[in-house]
Amino acid sequence: MDINRRLGLVSLALAAVLCLAAIPAFVSSPSNVRNIVLSPTFWPYVLSGLLALTGVILVFTRYTEAGETADGAADSAEPVPGAGLRLAGIAAVMILTVLLLPRLGMVWTSMLAFAASAFLYRTRHPVTALVCAVLVPLGLYAFFAHVAGVAIPQGQFVRLP
Amino acid sequence: MKLKSFMAGLACMLSAGAALAEYPERPINMVIPYGAGGATDISARTIAEPLGKAVGSALVMSNITGAGGVTGSVAVQNARADGYTMLFARVGSHSVNPAMKATLPYTLDDFRFVTVYEINPVACAVRPGGGIESMDDLVAKVAEGGVTYSSSGVGSLLHLAGAMVLSEFGVENPLEDATHIPLQGGGAAATAVLNGTATFICTNSSALASFVANGQLKPLMVTTAEPVPGFDAPTANDLGKPGLNALVGWTGIAGPAGLPDEVAAKWGTWMAEAAGDETFVQQMTARGSVIDVMSPEDANAFIQNQYEKFRALVDELGMRIEG
Amino acid sequence: MSFIDSVLLGLSLVGNVEAFASLFIGIVIGVIGGAIPGLSATMAVALTLPFTFAMSPINGILLLLGVYKGGIFGGCIPAILIKTPGTPASSATILDGYPMAERGESGRALGMALWASCTADLVSNLSLILFAGWLASFALKFGPPEFFTLILFSLTIIAGVSGNSLLRGALSAILGLLLATVGLDLVYGTNRFTFGDPNLMGGLNFIAVLIGLFAVPEIIAMAAHPTAHLGKARSLGKTWVSFDDYRRSLKTILRGSMIGVFLGSIPGIGAAPAAFLSYSEARRTSKNRANFGKGEIEGVAASEAGNNGVAGATLIPLLALGVPGDVITAIIIGAFMIHGLQPGPMMFVLNVDLIYGLLIGLVVSSVFLLIVGTVAIRGFKYVADIPRRILMPAVLVLCVFGVFAVNNNIFDVAVMFAMGWLGYLMMRAEIPAAPFLIAFILGPLLEDNFRQSMLMSGSDLSILARGPITWFFWAATVLAIVAIVRSTMRPDTQAG
Repeated sequence: MDINRRLGLVSLALAAVLCLAAIPAFVSSPSNVRNIVLSPTFWPYVLSGLLALTGVILVFTRYTEAGETADGAADSAEPVPGAGLRLAGIAAVMILTVLLLPRLGMVWTSMLAFAASAFLYRTRHPVTALVCAVLVPLGLYAFFAHVAGVAIPQGQFVRLP
Repeated sequence: MKLKSFMAGLACMLSAGAALAEYPERPINMVIPYGAGGATDISARTIAEPLGKAVGSALVMSNITGAGGVTGSVAVQNARADGYTMLFARVGSHSVNPAMKATLPYTLDDFRFVTVYEINPVACAVRPGGGIESMDDLVAKVAEGGVTYSSSGVGSLLHLAGAMVLSEFGVENPLEDATHIPLQGGGAAATAVLNGTATFICTNSSALASFVANGQLKPLMVTTAEPVPGFDAPTANDLGKPGLNALVGWTGIAGPAGLPDEVAAKWGTWMAEAAGDETFVQQMTARGSVIDVMSPEDANAFIQNQYEKFRALVDELGMRIEG
Repeated sequence: MSFIDSVLLGLSLVGNVEAFASLFIGIVIGVIGGAIPGLSATMAVALTLPFTFAMSPINGILLLLGVYKGGIFGGCIPAILIKTPGTPASSATILDGYPMAERGESGRALGMALWASCTADLVSNLSLILFAGWLASFALKFGPPEFFTLILFSLTIIAGVSGNSLLRGALSAILGLLLATVGLDLVYGTNRFTFGDPNLMGGLNFIAVLIGLFAVPEIIAMAAHPTAHLGKARSLGKTWVSFDDYRRSLKTILRGSMIGVFLGSIPGIGAAPAAFLSYSEARRTSKNRANFGKGEIEGVAASEAGNNGVAGATLIPLLALGVPGDVITAIIIGAFMIHGLQPGPMMFVLNVDLIYGLLIGLVVSSVFLLIVGTVAIRGFKYVADIPRRILMPAVLVLCVFGVFAVNNNIFDVAVMFAMGWLGYLMMRAEIPAAPFLIAFILGPLLEDNFRQSMLMSGSDLSILARGPITWFFWAATVLAIVAIVRSTMRPDTQAG
């Protein structure tokens, strides 16, 4: 299917979800609103309408410029072996980073995230990568905590000075 | 060295109770729930220096901004009550918000106040030359209709102050007779009166001082019993409305509800020492604040009293936000 | 008192080593602070503030102004080198700066950014000196209805940064507008899409969205295809901006500076929209418009001129009215007050020496910026030589630290990653990210000013056309839309 049509259908679906479910459920409006244009729900409904309109136009417009896109876009469309697995890997790295941040502290978590992502990228300099994985978070910690005075999360186990 | 700090960390974890004797043994994280450059931020950073000396270890200042002070307050509410995460609480986040918002994720009971150290008188002002010279003129104008007042957002001191002042001066239904226009921040709220977007503003005198000094705004009254230097306007008591004395801004320091007594006591002594610092007092009074260091008990009573007054007004006027 | 007398008075105040040294140090701090994503110009100014308490007023304020100016420029360094804007103001610089770096022309891009910044800075400072009074009284005429029309007009910028397909640009913008509705409602204070989470009540952090949208998709794309970059030149090389480049872009730079001065003198707009507006104007009028977004040096010049043009002009409302134009100037006002100075009309009477001292310092700051910037670019050039598979993990860690530091909130790190995946999906679907960002900035302003206007007038729509300023922007908006529709109807412009 043409990419514009797919985008259009996704937009229409999103607009429908917003109007029918999300806005009534998650945007609360007080009962004493003086005028409809002042209601907290007014602007979200306007946006959903615009989204639906864009969706309709997208569905009926073919993507004519397909052949003229930048070279970069063409590259990324080429299938690379293992891409899906590595994407899942980087997603896992990000989720773990967020989960571990309050427990391990920012410095140790960052070291793990650095090492894991360098490994995912199959770096040609594994030793350099490991050294950097230790030094970069330590350097950033020293700067942010002691020069900029930011309370970098320390975690529950090992506290840095 | 790493092993040493690891052991130290472990020891700290295992003996959280016993270690309190040496509180504080590491830097205390002070959360400022408002943005850099605002009144709370400047106040907090001014006291940080003498306070750091009194505490004897560094204080780390962290601005956690959002939702009128709610985001930062929640961060402290959920922090461990070990005295290493403290909050600079403000009138907006801890008496107006709890009084007005039903869906607020915290109540006053979730915090333990160790002090209130600064009182900010509130002043009401209008643009000069608009035919409003006194509070009576303003009230008369409200009766004509079309009067608006600006604030820094729903649930801010300015929002409540506008309604409270009108209500005290006998306007029966200030929510209907005058329109509240929320703006993006205190600076924008003052500018709105300057350029005629809103008719009047009631806010901390420090936020209006330079406009009043420059003749850009005309003060109508101040809410304190004592006159405020630089403000050529009657006090609430002069006008026979001592009920407005409760309408003042303040800055205090609070910890999570379970804060140990020893920690609270230590803060009491530190604050007494820090507030004696001459440069601090001079810098704060230069900006129009009144330095009044309260003990933990006095602070709690003061805030509870203000909260109850505000809550009664909110219920009377139907200003409570349920959604 | 004559103008010459005032200048001499000012000179007597700043004509010493300490004043110029504080300005210089300020610029150095600013450039470094701006170059570190997450630290941003705002944080750098806030962190420097306590040091000014002990200094004399003029030196302290010059220090802060130095940090401010340096910070706004410094933001372009990571924007060009690692696609991570150091300050929000430099997000428009990414559009052409990063593609240039990909081509191995980062030296040329950085050089142009510096020259454009310094030129715009000078123009901005001169307009502050010459037109402060006039621009300030003009800025005070901006109430909510005027803002509403100005922002409506600014939203037409989206057409200029939509790339190949206007429709996708519009889709991207609407998504940005929708995301910006998260948080507490302005007028009633009720929850909108907060799902009961206090972290969402304040809305999504702008910096987290910004870094998530631009820097994180690169990190993800690198995982999908770790060797895509091989064979592409990426070193700083010997390319440096030539005088010929500068001469060709001069018109763009001057136009960008003017846009910056205009938007900067109106409180509440800020540097990022100015950069985008300048960029889209440059694209609209350029001969090389097809090359914009693919590494056109004029694009870098336009956006950097736009954001630095703001830096001097935000001081116009500050000095003339005592009104802060953005967060940074709000902090600087704090510095004035701590020294017992009250910015406003009276200051031009009571503290003439200080005002002129500041103005002299500001003019010198453009020269200092050129010196510090040149050195900084030499220093940061090694970033371009780091192997990408080491650089990208480092960028990841830097983003985590930086986004956390903005608001001391771990939740923002999660927002950044989530936005990163959205950005990656948009990249794959060829939906441009820039309109999303512009809409995210301008959306809340548009809605708030609309509702404030309605509150002012009692829901009477006619207030939106209450005076010449609103008429002007309505006309400009209509003209812009007509121009956009005509250019989309003519398919040959796309073929370029």
